Amino acid sequence: MFHQLRVALRTGIVTEPPPAGEALSLEALGARLHEEIHRRFGRSLHIRQVDAGSCNGCELEIGGLTGPHYDLERFGLHFVASPRHADCLLVTGPVTLNMAEALRRTYAATPDPKIVIAVGDCGRDAGIFRGSYAVVGGVADVVPVHAVIPGCPPSPRALLAGLLDAIGRAR
Amino acid sequence: MAILAYAVAATGGLAAALLGLAGVLGTAFTVRAPWLLPLGGLEVTLDPLGGFFLALIGAAAVPASIYAMGYAAGERRGVLAYNVFVASMCAVPLAANVLTFLLAWELMSLASYVLVVQSGEREAVRAAWVYALMTHAGLACLLAGMLLLGSWTGSFRFTDWYAAASPLPSWGPGLAFVLLALGFGVKAGVIPLHVWLPLAHPAAPSHVSALMSGVMIKLGVYGLMRVGLDWLGGGPAWWGVAVMLAGTVSAVVGVLYALVEHDLKRLLAFHSIENVGIILIGLGAGMLFYEAGLPALALLGFAAALYHTMNHAAFKALLFLGAGAVLHAAGTRDMERMGGLIKRMPWTAACFMVGSAAIAALPPLNGFVSEWLTFQALLQNLKIDRPEVNLVFALGIAGLALTGGLAMACFVKAFGITFLALPRSEAAARAHEAGRAMRVGMGLLALACVVLGLAPTLVVPALAKIGADVMHVPAPADVGGWLTLNVSGEFASLSTLAVAAALVTALAVPAATLALAGIGRRRRLYETWGCGRLLQTSRMEYTATAFANPFKRVFDFFYRPVTQLDIEVHPESRLFVRRIEYANPTSSIFEDWLYRPALDALHRWARRARGLQSGSANLYLTYILAALLALLVLA
Repeated sequence: MFHQLRVALRTGIVTEPPPAGEALSLEALGARLHEEIHRRFGRSLHIRQVDAGSCNGCELEIGGLTGPHYDLERFGLHFVASPRHADCLLVTGPVTLNMAEALRRTYAATPDPKIVIAVGDCGRDAGIFRGSYAVVGGVADVVPVHAVIPGCPPSPRALLAGLLDAIGRAR
Repeated sequence: MAILAYAVAATGGLAAALLGLAGVLGTAFTVRAPWLLPLGGLEVTLDPLGGFFLALIGAAAVPASIYAMGYAAGERRGVLAYNVFVASMCAVPLAANVLTFLLAWELMSLASYVLVVQSGEREAVRAAWVYALMTHAGLACLLAGMLLLGSWTGSFRFTDWYAAASPLPSWGPGLAFVLLALGFGVKAGVIPLHVWLPLAHPAAPSHVSALMSGVMIKLGVYGLMRVGLDWLGGGPAWWGVAVMLAGTVSAVVGVLYALVEHDLKRLLAFHSIENVGIILIGLGAGMLFYEAGLPALALLGFAAALYHTMNHAAFKALLFLGAGAVLHAAGTRDMERMGGLIKRMPWTAACFMVGSAAIAALPPLNGFVSEWLTFQALLQNLKIDRPEVNLVFALGIAGLALTGGLAMACFVKAFGITFLALPRSEAAARAHEAGRAMRVGMGLLALACVVLGLAPTLVVPALAKIGADVMHVPAPADVGGWLTLNVSGEFASLSTLAVAAALVTALAVPAATLALAGIGRRRRLYETWGCGRLLQTSRMEYTATAFANPFKRVFDFFYRPVTQLDIEVHPESRLFVRRIEYANPTSSIFEDWLYRPALDALHRWARRARGLQSGSANLYLTYILAALLALLVLA
């Protein structure tokens, strides 16, 4: 306990300042997202991220969303630890043979109504891994997909824009 | 045969409970037999405080005995000891003079020693040995203190001490208090005198553990109440400070040990230490307020202590009986080998749940009420205008708050690991529900937990009256109506009935609304979420060790855990691991820093003294000569 307190006190601020200029458009996008979520889901959208065989490039960008610069929780989006708590599945990567059943089970374990979003070029159609003996295909080949966010990997901004798009289309 | 004996114990318990209740309500009598024995003979008397403890013992003995009819029906060993144990416990609070008290006290200790040792297992024998040693060390302190007081005041009757306390030498009451508090502290399991408790309680049969933990250690508390407030008519502030600090340390340390304990009954034993600590915090507050001349607040602290005494008897007896049912069904006390028992023994699980919620002080159950009262007493400490005393109160508040949180975590672990998820062993998978007698015993105690939680407005005035009798002050006039309990006028108020009603409404209204709206009809059943794995086994479950590990890390300065990793690899390549064993045991500060050095010193002295007795007759003759010369010179 004392060790942890000492480390916390000794370590200064380690983050770097955000890039200039980007902030305004991000806020505008976020505000629209916030409004859309408020309108369609009451207050918040809970997301379960599923890695179906990704190279973890998309995960890095998704992880960036929770950082202090993007901070998606202020728009009413939350990442949750179980599909039982989720409204939305964010699936990355080509669906490998080993993960196909797990993805199906995750889909089944998510309560209705639910949105599935395939992230990245691999999620869209297995990308450069298409045709591999270890890959089933894109996310749509395994579970129904409502929206796709392309990119290799998509930037956090693109992810937010894609989420907005998907929510706008969801009934 | 055994069933008949337990029926006798249950009937006797009921009679004792009724007699005690009459004592609480004001009946008083004294029976004397001075011709029977020297030193004043036998004398018993019934007064409100004694009546309270008598009622407590009797009321706890009833469900424990009913439970025993199912739990130990075929077991003839220990039947007599059990009855003697219950009877001698009943005699302790009735005793009116030193001799009667010590006889009953020692009989109680010996009977419980027999019950601890009766299984005959190695572990039980060692536990009983430690228990006998500690309890007799305590008895020695009690004997010394009581004989000192008796010779100073010239009387061995307790009631005479109060009248004669003033002409004592100035250090007299202090010395007597320290000796008696040490003696009673051993029985109450106050840290650092607690070492016997986590050994002896698990070793005894469960209905005996329930009584030992539920009421026997409370007799230590009873003694502390008598010596702190009644016999010597109160004392200087350091008495109260000592009691409150001992209580705070016991509460925090007890719950910390419980948190890393995976033996279900040992875990409960450590919680007994914690709860005695909470009782002593209340009692210490009462003593400090009494010393500061604030009788109304003193009564509040004292009533809180009494209330928690009663509540702890109810829920700890319940939990021990539940643990006994689990032990009976799964054949182990190790929580890591349980799991899934809620499906196999739903009644036991429900009762254990009630007990867990009560001991974790969740409203509207009884543990919440008494801890709330203790907090209300502590929070009014600013009425004492002495910074050093206020500091002690602040420590008590902080300790009690920490204890409450950790106790909650501990019972999430105890209930969750024991009863939920998949069974972790073959035996747990084949577990069966407890028999009818056992269920009745547990059900009675669970009912007591609920009733004591919902009816504080009936209980608290009676407890305040007992306190007024002990402290020789007038009872407070008003503690609120039937619905709401008011503390110190406008300071705070609580209505557990309203809380219970709100909780029930909050649960029932959404459920009813959903049912009416037809949401439940669109239900989709699916297997438990297992991270998408194809196979789910008990090895994937959260374990008790894993649950306790974060606490072990945060409080590592207290636990001082040692990591032992033992890896056996294939002789050809160390990349092929055959077996990994991991252990992360904690070490006890009190054993390492207090008992170990003391025992080592004792052994050293004993070895040195052994030189005196060499077996040589010549040397012995020299001793006789030396002794003779010394006596002649001195005479």
